[in-house]
Amino acid sequence: MSSESIKVTINGSDYQVEKGARLIDVCRSNGHAVPSFCYYSDLALQASCRTCLVRIEKMPKLQTSCTITCTDGMIVTTESDEIEKARRGMVEFLLANHPLDCPVCDRGGECELQEMVFDWGGLEERFRERKNYAPEKYLSPVVANDPQRCILCKRCTRVCDEWMGEDAIEAGGRGVNTVIGTYGGWLNCSQCGNCIEVCPTGTLLDGTYRHQARPWELEQTITTCTFCSDGCQMSLGSRGGEVMRAVARDRYVNGINGEFLCIKGRFAHPFVNHEERLRTPMIRYRKGGKLIPATWDQALEFAANKLRETADAHGAEAIGVVGSPRITNEANYALLKFANEVVGTSNYTATDRFSLAPFFESLGAGLATHRDIRFAKTIVLVGGEPEELQPLTGKQIRQAVRNGGAKLIVINSRAIRLQQQAAQFIHIRPGAEDAAVLALADERFDELAAKKLGVDASELSTARGTVLDTEGNCIIMFGGELSPAAQSLLAQIPHAASTDKRRFLFHPLPLYNNSVGAHDIGLMGGAHTASSLLGAAGAEIRALYVAGSFLPDHLRGQEEALSKLDLLIVQELFETETTRYADVVLPAASFAETDGTFTNNDGLVQRVRASIPPAHQSKPDWMITAALAQTLGMDFNFQMSASTVFRELAERTTAYNGMRYPLLKDETKPVQAKHAIAPRRDLADEIEALRLSIESLDETAEKIMGTPPVGHELFKPGELTGKVPQFHLLAAGNPKPPDVLISPLYQITIDAGLRRTDEAVAVAGD
Amino acid sequence: MFIGALGCEPLQLARVNLENSTSLDVYRRNGGYEALRKALGMSPDDVIAEVKKSALRGRGGAGFPTGMKWGFVPKDSPKPKYVVCNADESEPGSFKDRYLMERDPHMLIEGMLIAAHALGSKTCYIYTRGEYRYLIEIMDRALVEARNANLVGEKILGTDFACEVHTHTGAGAYICGEETALLNSLEGLRGHPRMKPPFPAVAGLYSCPTVVNNVETLTAVPDIIKMGGEAYQKLGTEKSGGTKLWSVSGHVNRPGVYELPMGYDDMEKFIMEDCQGITKNRKLKAVIPGGSSVYIMPASDILGKDVKMDYEGLVAAGSMVGSGGFIVMDETVDIFESTKNLTEFYKHESCGWCTPCREGTDWLVKVFKRIAKGEGQPEDAQLLLDLCDNIEGKSFCPLGDAAAWPIQSAIKKFPEDFKRHLAPMVEAREAIAAD
Repeated sequence: MSSESIKVTINGSDYQVEKGARLIDVCRSNGHAVPSFCYYSDLALQASCRTCLVRIEKMPKLQTSCTITCTDGMIVTTESDEIEKARRGMVEFLLANHPLDCPVCDRGGECELQEMVFDWGGLEERFRERKNYAPEKYLSPVVANDPQRCILCKRCTRVCDEWMGEDAIEAGGRGVNTVIGTYGGWLNCSQCGNCIEVCPTGTLLDGTYRHQARPWELEQTITTCTFCSDGCQMSLGSRGGEVMRAVARDRYVNGINGEFLCIKGRFAHPFVNHEERLRTPMIRYRKGGKLIPATWDQALEFAANKLRETADAHGAEAIGVVGSPRITNEANYALLKFANEVVGTSNYTATDRFSLAPFFESLGAGLATHRDIRFAKTIVLVGGEPEELQPLTGKQIRQAVRNGGAKLIVINSRAIRLQQQAAQFIHIRPGAEDAAVLALADERFDELAAKKLGVDASELSTARGTVLDTEGNCIIMFGGELSPAAQSLLAQIPHAASTDKRRFLFHPLPLYNNSVGAHDIGLMGGAHTASSLLGAAGAEIRALYVAGSFLPDHLRGQEEALSKLDLLIVQELFETETTRYADVVLPAASFAETDGTFTNNDGLVQRVRASIPPAHQSKPDWMITAALAQTLGMDFNFQMSASTVFRELAERTTAYNGMRYPLLKDETKPVQAKHAIAPRRDLADEIEALRLSIESLDETAEKIMGTPPVGHELFKPGELTGKVPQFHLLAAGNPKPPDVLISPLYQITIDAGLRRTDEAVAVAGD
Repeated sequence: MFIGALGCEPLQLARVNLENSTSLDVYRRNGGYEALRKALGMSPDDVIAEVKKSALRGRGGAGFPTGMKWGFVPKDSPKPKYVVCNADESEPGSFKDRYLMERDPHMLIEGMLIAAHALGSKTCYIYTRGEYRYLIEIMDRALVEARNANLVGEKILGTDFACEVHTHTGAGAYICGEETALLNSLEGLRGHPRMKPPFPAVAGLYSCPTVVNNVETLTAVPDIIKMGGEAYQKLGTEKSGGTKLWSVSGHVNRPGVYELPMGYDDMEKFIMEDCQGITKNRKLKAVIPGGSSVYIMPASDILGKDVKMDYEGLVAAGSMVGSGGFIVMDETVDIFESTKNLTEFYKHESCGWCTPCREGTDWLVKVFKRIAKGEGQPEDAQLLLDLCDNIEGKSFCPLGDAAAWPIQSAIKKFPEDFKRHLAPMVEAREAIAAD
């Protein structure tokens, strides 16, 4: 990381550039266009497409600018007759065996080869020979492959290896017969589809979107993914009120994730237009009866009257308000306002698996962005499994280690896949994560912790040594395994261990897209948690107003809790376990149909934008809450505008002060919430509590052996992914049908599992 | 078939014609492993200095000075260092390495051990092409003998020098003769060339400093140590020291492996006298002197032109030494056909990594095939040249250049052979124009 400046001359103009800069980047950032296919930022160099050739003085041949590191006094020419001939020659070669089937190619209109030919192609085709033929095939249910279109830039094989660490796709064959394929059978991977995304041509295609639409028919809407706390930016392509696809191609969107998305972000959007979406508000007029469709006015009136009755009979505290870590900040804010100002209850919460409140209360350093992770020097990962639950974080960690030389310390009860990149893997007993935190924070407890963790005490001191040797950023990540006291202790580590040369940053790994937002708004600060609220149902809690649904975790052991309520109001997308006992069900708009913001695990407040109008009669959550408040006689004065909600929210939430939608407009410049840094404080109580709980841990518990398989969390059909056929297929073990020419997705239904239609068999048999 | 030296004492071929020449016994009785003993008594730097003085140039084809290559290996690197023998002899026309390994395997082992001593390496690999499977057996037998005689392994010849030598076979790819592709293959990866820099001397096998040398280069090392670098250099010319093996094939009465001193004078004498002239008393038409990748030389550039057989002499004559695969063609050869044959070879062997070589060779072959069918257009000769120009100097590794050069030189030196094949369409066009 030298900041020494050197002089480079490009086409006669002098530029001062940082020593070690890559020539192609320098050319491009200074307006000297250099074409390329195989060069892809932060992937291994390939230098195979040979289109980025430039002339450098004192070098005998044309040089690929993607492989050249600038040196002082370098004199470069990017435009000359010789270079133009070379580039045109390369494009001519690339096009030689490429089928000119753009009119039926899904990539037509957004194809880099098309664009390259527009710029560098000849007027006439000199290639008059027969083109080589290779049959189309499917590499997996979601990845379609037309090998003839391949230009062998190998971006796909590199992202599979370097981003995902899965190495499922590789070139086979030799010379002009080289084709991209699998190591036999289906692609054995998480089906993230990043190979599709980075493909510059129509070689790898989205099997679920194939032949469904042309790119120019789609309306592109930049929005935030709704599936995990990483908050990837993506572009929803919609046509006629239907979401057709989700992509992160840099021609449409340039967020924190670049062109990266995981299987959920890319393929799990069909729930938006699912036929089972709730169509109208519904009322259950008597307990045990059926839900009867109603108008919005009827439903709101019914809900309002019942709420009034409950408040009159049992007091305001008998009413609980439950938000969700999956809905927008605006929606959660409206719910909190409803609880505070309309009902006047302290019984509010959000349906998250765990609360980050103790962490944020003791926060000793700022939150790391994903960019910080990529350039970190040391990364400590306590619990969690980011490669499954926060795939972008997983990718950033992998690249930080592989490309940035970061040291990764993994402390986990399972040999998660990221331990392959780890400088140190501390394999602990399940449920003992707290002990590791205690030892990291305070070396006096090494022996105790080691005994309980089932590791050698030296492993803990080695890890601490690595952290204390760090020069640069040290990022601490943690999953949901930590107890509140351990969260506090971890959050205070920077106060003791920061120096001028070492900066600590935190990266919590909550599970949901707006877990951090729900905390920031204050919704997690109510008198109850989701589970305890259910436990009190029928006793001091008589009515619940729920946006979204309770998780299976919350309902476990108290399945009947909801039936004990006098009143249950639920706003949802689908019928769920929670709506089963609901007296009023209000259809809510999905993330693709609403404006708002999500706050990710970086603390970045990112926009969610409506791509299509709300399905059927559904409405955005905040609008429903405001309408219910209105029916109860209070005007929230939101003026039907999400930006008004956000303005009020930002004024009342310290970390968001000063934020407005116009500031959040540009996804390339995300805005981070200003979480307050807590001062150093005495942790004796927490340490003592932790020590006691750790003393009681079992020293004989067996460790969990084996690495969990790729996708064991990703493919789980649950929540929204349960509405997408391929998740059922993948969860069933991703069976490979013999030589199908159409996607197996068309051969299954959710209910019946894998089912072959006669047509499909007929096609396969041809 | 002749195997022997002309114009000098045989060095490389000193033992190949002895009975039981592969045995350690015969090798030792003829001075074998004496050079190793001498080298182990010298400092590594002195060994490298001798090799530098010898003006030995890499015999694989590129002709890079061997001593200089060895000098690039960083001495202070904490990583292990490797010596890799490139026995992937796959250049059409070259078969010298095969005879060296088949008949004198211990000379290679000794050469590798000296190199390992000079470079501080404890591990050597002999990477042999897949088709040379039987040579692996010979090498393995020799290695067992050497190990039993305390010449490979720990405490070699009673010194502290320890070195292991392993054999490894490729899977039949021409590209794996390119040193970085060879290293990829040796590591178990696809046989694709790597980006240079870093050069193998800095980051080669398993990203460790590595020297990759041809069989003939390594087998020259024992003699250099024995006689001294200067004496070895004096056998040849100032810039090309020592002797060189030429694999002579084609239309000569006595093909074989010839060991000639560098700067042998001259090529006409070599063909007409040493190789006993052209078969059936036909006329010489062309020679490819350095394996299929070099420029083809017409008889007119050889006969009466006093072409000296060394690196400088052949460049001056418009070709290259390459790997010394000396292919002689008589007047019956159709250069169009022979070039087509070579181009098909390069298409088959292109690894597919970079655009110009992968697509270019495929296109070239398609044009050649079309012309061969009588469907060649008059402008096809120009097209071939233009395609070659788009490949040459633009490919990832030199295989692209190797595919382009034979075609460029063939069209330039033998235009009539191409014209003849393009004639049908030319005549057809003329006929149409006349109507």
